[in-house]
Amino acid sequence: MIEPSRELRDVCAVVGAGHSRLGQVPGVSSLDLLVEAMRNAIADAGLTVSDIDGIICRGPDESYSHHQLIGERLGINARFSTSLDNGGASQILAVALATMAIKAGLASTVICGYGRDSWSRTHSSKEANIRNETRPDSQLAHEFGPEYGYFGAVAAHALGATRHMHLYGTTRDQFGAIAVAFREHALRNPDAQMKKPLTIEKYHAAPQVVSPFGLYDCSLRSDAAGAVIVTSRERAHDLRQPPVLIKGFGSFNNLRGWFNDDNMVVTAAKNSGGTAYRMAGLGPDDVDTAQIYDCFTYMVLTQLEDYGFCKKGDGGPFVASGALRMGGLLPTNTAGGQLSEAHVEGMLQVVEGVRQLRHTYPAERQVADAEIALVSGHGGNTVCHSTLILGRA
Amino acid sequence: MSSAAQKPLPRPAPESVPYWQAAREHRLELPRCNACGKFWFPPSRSCPHCLAADFAWTPVSGVGKVFSFVIFHRVYHPAFAQEVPYVVALVELAEGPRLLSNIVGVPPEAVACEMPVKVVFDDVAEGASVPKFVPLNAPAR
Repeated sequence: MIEPSRELRDVCAVVGAGHSRLGQVPGVSSLDLLVEAMRNAIADAGLTVSDIDGIICRGPDESYSHHQLIGERLGINARFSTSLDNGGASQILAVALATMAIKAGLASTVICGYGRDSWSRTHSSKEANIRNETRPDSQLAHEFGPEYGYFGAVAAHALGATRHMHLYGTTRDQFGAIAVAFREHALRNPDAQMKKPLTIEKYHAAPQVVSPFGLYDCSLRSDAAGAVIVTSRERAHDLRQPPVLIKGFGSFNNLRGWFNDDNMVVTAAKNSGGTAYRMAGLGPDDVDTAQIYDCFTYMVLTQLEDYGFCKKGDGGPFVASGALRMGGLLPTNTAGGQLSEAHVEGMLQVVEGVRQLRHTYPAERQVADAEIALVSGHGGNTVCHSTLILGRA
Repeated sequence: MSSAAQKPLPRPAPESVPYWQAAREHRLELPRCNACGKFWFPPSRSCPHCLAADFAWTPVSGVGKVFSFVIFHRVYHPAFAQEVPYVVALVELAEGPRLLSNIVGVPPEAVACEMPVKVVFDDVAEGASVPKFVPLNAPAR
């Protein structure tokens, strides 16, 4: 087995974190949402833009050389910059690549971020709202799907949920426990897109979308962006915020496909997480809070299993026990997640993992004594995965 | 919502043209490797099991089982407004590959994982047939 390099453990830190306005932000492009989040991250770190010499970002999918467009708006050149293409797994890969670039001496201070205008895009016309599709036409399937009425990410993930229910007896009540817990967290987050309480009764009463998923199993359409700044551990100590160390990261991609092997019930999180744990020298018992890529409720449940927080197949009882709530065994998606805060393809999960480890939240939002946070990223037609393990310095 | 909306027809990539030609003649054929003997799907010009490029389009039994399935309630395309709720399933063929398709001829609530199914062909347009699946024990249509 290839061993991840321990020389990357604790050598870099996240020193700035920011988000844009979240939710419905009409009239602002995804580029400007990302620049808004980056400006907030730079201010949060106590840096100026001229301190930034690296940019790693992603999409929107149809834009070419996206990092170039961002650098132009920030008004800087970069010693190292690129755009990534692993869907929702890209945002953690950006932090990982920043760490590697800094360690290699290619850059000193790298800004990573992602922004999207999915609410505006899916509400731009009646037709756009029916299709509910954020990807450009060129990326959609033209055969082996649309002729069967198979559209969208909901159905792909719902196929996994059905299979998990069949193999392990997982129930919609258990999926609902995830949606309800994250909504509780969002209600404590004044910037979250969702403002109203969610009960398990309301969860069950909501319309079915693609069974077994109903409305509240599905993440939000959001105009939103997030950004973080990575620099060396030495430099971090001179900056404004308590540094949050990058202890480990991992990546795995089940490129044989979501429909092949057991990939829809044992996701790439298993191997990605294993790598990150080994780099960090930690295991699931060390994790105080998890920020999990929650495009759909089921994906939280199966990733928690794949990360070893419970056995494969036991995710249903685990989430139903209240483990994910504040004060639970593993407070998860403590800002509300993509189900209730805003959906920025995993970027806000990175931001929230950092903030929890600063211990600067009011008590009702703070995971008590959080020392280690695990963050997951999932995407790229459901098979790409990345993991980030953060720790207090 | 227009009642005249047309369902999307498959727009084949070059490597899947033979699949749709066979379907038009109500045959289910998949690429099969002449080196390792395995089938694969979706179509491509080399075997994802052994990377050999020597293959033949080969008929399969058309029998399989439901690996997983979902029920569409939401209308994502106006042509499916009259169809909801409808079942989209991942069918695992006896020969191994898994195909997305519809399960028809049975109410959605009767579909289950591992249910045995067999292929039927739906002539969706002039010159276009789409393989779908019915329960294995269903009478011939």
